Amino acid sequence: MNPTPNLFVGIAQVVANLVLFLALAPLFDGIVRRVMARVQSRKGPPLAQSFYDVLKLLGKENIDSTGILPFRLAPLVAFASMLCVIAILPVAGHATALTPYADTISLVYLLTLGGVAVLLGAFASKNIYALIGASREMTTMIMVEPILFMILLLGVLKTGSLDLTAVIYGTPSAEFGWPGIVMIVVSLFALQAFVARQPFDMAEAEQELLGGPFIEYSGPNYALFKYYMMLKQMFYAYLPIAMFVPLLKSGYFVLDLLLQVVLTALVFLLIGLLSATHPRYRIDQAIRYFATLFVIALAAIGAAVIF
Amino acid sequence: MRKELEAKLIARLRDDVVCVEKTDARTIFVDVKRAGIREAAKIIHGAGARYLCSVGYDNIARDGTLGMIHTFALDDCNQFVCCRTTAPVGDPVIESITPDLPSAGWSEREVTDLLGLRFAGHPKPKKLVLADDWPDGIYPLRKDVPHDLVPKGAEDVAYELDEAPPGTKIVPVGPFHPSLHEPEHFAVYVDGETIKGCDYRGFMTHRGIEKLCQTQVSYNEVPFIAERICGICGSVHATAFSQAVESAAGLVIPRRAEFIRTLMLEIERIHSNLLWLGVAGHLIGFDTVFMQAWRVREQIMWLCERLTGNRKTYGMILVGGVRRDITPEIAEDIRNVVNKIEEELMVIHRAIEKDTSIHKRTKGVGTITREQALDWSLVGPVARARGIDIDARRDHPYAAYDEVKFEVPVLDSCDVWATLVIRVIETFEAIKIIRQCLDKMPGGEIFVEMKDKIPALRHAITVVEAPRGESVHYVITGEENRPERWRVRAPTFPNLQAVPLMLLDEQFADFPIVMGSIDPCFSCTDRVAVVDLQTGKSSSISKAELDAMSRKQQQRA
Repeated sequence: MNPTPNLFVGIAQVVANLVLFLALAPLFDGIVRRVMARVQSRKGPPLAQSFYDVLKLLGKENIDSTGILPFRLAPLVAFASMLCVIAILPVAGHATALTPYADTISLVYLLTLGGVAVLLGAFASKNIYALIGASREMTTMIMVEPILFMILLLGVLKTGSLDLTAVIYGTPSAEFGWPGIVMIVVSLFALQAFVARQPFDMAEAEQELLGGPFIEYSGPNYALFKYYMMLKQMFYAYLPIAMFVPLLKSGYFVLDLLLQVVLTALVFLLIGLLSATHPRYRIDQAIRYFATLFVIALAAIGAAVIF
Repeated sequence: MRKELEAKLIARLRDDVVCVEKTDARTIFVDVKRAGIREAAKIIHGAGARYLCSVGYDNIARDGTLGMIHTFALDDCNQFVCCRTTAPVGDPVIESITPDLPSAGWSEREVTDLLGLRFAGHPKPKKLVLADDWPDGIYPLRKDVPHDLVPKGAEDVAYELDEAPPGTKIVPVGPFHPSLHEPEHFAVYVDGETIKGCDYRGFMTHRGIEKLCQTQVSYNEVPFIAERICGICGSVHATAFSQAVESAAGLVIPRRAEFIRTLMLEIERIHSNLLWLGVAGHLIGFDTVFMQAWRVREQIMWLCERLTGNRKTYGMILVGGVRRDITPEIAEDIRNVVNKIEEELMVIHRAIEKDTSIHKRTKGVGTITREQALDWSLVGPVARARGIDIDARRDHPYAAYDEVKFEVPVLDSCDVWATLVIRVIETFEAIKIIRQCLDKMPGGEIFVEMKDKIPALRHAITVVEAPRGESVHYVITGEENRPERWRVRAPTFPNLQAVPLMLLDEQFADFPIVMGSIDPCFSCTDRVAVVDLQTGKSSSISKAELDAMSRKQQQRA
């Protein structure tokens, strides 16, 4: 696709992307909490509760339990890498000023960097619970990141380009064919793993690991991690919508955006329902589940190459 | 049974047997010299008796000895065997029975801590009950130690954990951990995610209830203290104590009171099992089960508030009867509430029954074989999930259980899932029992006063089936209108000892639910009170405000 002609619009787009994600991610998290509460016959917190949580944490003291640099840097790296992902993301088909400088590979890199930062912080905190949590997180990443990559790879194969706008929005849904349908199913089944919620929240597993990788974090550092998790969650909820739901092409950008946001909200409704109706799996059970998804995704890619 | 047992004992031990006597229809006392105690325990166990617990007592003032009693139950003929021996206080050593009966391990360690009686050949003679910094040589349950003694703590002492198997890391679980609801400490030895062993250091909140009741209060007050041993199965302890005293005094209580006791015990069972179901859901990360089970449970607490004035810790049981009568209106109320609970629990039951993801987390988890469960004398749903068909309500009927019909569910899949199913079925059975109680309850008095003084130094043992297994109470009557010795063995006491075995080679992620599957009640085991969060809150508001709030809540309910 063509790089954005107007630099000024492009930069405005970067800022708009960031504002959109930073503003909506906690609200979407609020939707999950409300849905879960309703399934559990509770009233649930206000929609903006996750905002309040982050704000409260920002006002608290940072306890640096280890005194080493990686421990302090990890939340910053995780948060920054997620912001970069959002900055290069062509939301609703409109490339930002930064999109031309990135491609699908760098998107996957940046997402992985966020995950690695979480691991780094966990290992640096030298807590046995964090270590167990980190090892679970690592296993999950190794199994789940390839599935993400294969979802994007389908777009790459169809358009023959690594450019983000092309990969995510370039293919009309009909042209995906049945491998596309298989991939939609895979991305829905992997959704809970992508957003680290029940049944795949074993890395944090409150009842066993008391928050796992984040156990030693507090105050603003923990707020950054929380925000990072919410942004990541929104990205993963948005991705299948962006990939597989065609744009309206009505000429009005806002209309496209609105539709996609509403659909993303629906994905969060689904996340909430799934979280509320599942216990947490053990890591060995999760691995078996991911392996099945991995094979199915691989088969879909194979089919897309052959046919 | 007494004659057979006597013959067997005399054939093997000859002169070591002092006497074998039967004091009432169901208790056989065997007195042996201390040289024969291990052999005697072996013979009694070999005769098909199930080990319950051991009781130590101080007899120094009378004949300069420390006493030890190993208690057993014969479940198929409703009898108890108490095997007594003594050791002079100058040489307080008797042979340990733990090598033959592993679940005696804690009982013996407790006696060593509290009375200074030592056990030769005990495989793990570590401190169990007393704090690590408790000074040597002071044995709190001895009569010469005052109940309020606060000795100066020993310095530089710490509990030494068992050695970890090679190649494992130690994960500390507790004293504060979300999967434990009371302070206890487990050191879990893990290899990767697999549990290779664990050591337990509990009794962190030992409050000395037994000592208190042996020195400060009278028989009539003990049931209320007994009720505070546990925040969940309080009536069980109050009933068990009252029955032990009634049995020692030969007091027969009115039939109506027995029915009301049965009713309260079953209401308590419904409450406890719903509470457990919720906690179990929470422990496997399934909070919807947690919230729904507790929503259903809430109704029983409102009911109890109307019934007894309290959501929990009912204060209904007295020595000689019960405190409040069940009026026809209250009976109707109970019927309505249990109908509603039955209906709502059925919905939850159906949802859980077919939920494959719950199966994944509970089936085949925490397995131990029937033989291991027998060796460790497991009790309650934990034993019944391992194919052991015991239930004190049926095997040793008390209160009005001889007149009501109920099923005792027994499963043999030996895992956490089986304990879950058993608890749900038992809740339905409890509802059945409540309906029968209301139908069959005779009229008449609910309380009979104790007129004669209870003779001193009578021994009595009773068991009561708590929701988590049978509670054993052993009472030796005293001279000053209070027990000389009162021993409480909560169901968690034997069950907790087998948890390391259940955990072996399981995943660390299964720790909470395996631990939870025994429905651990650490407070019963430690004999301390659980602070009810609902009443704990009241400390910051005035009594008048609290009264107003309570009244408002009454009206709402």
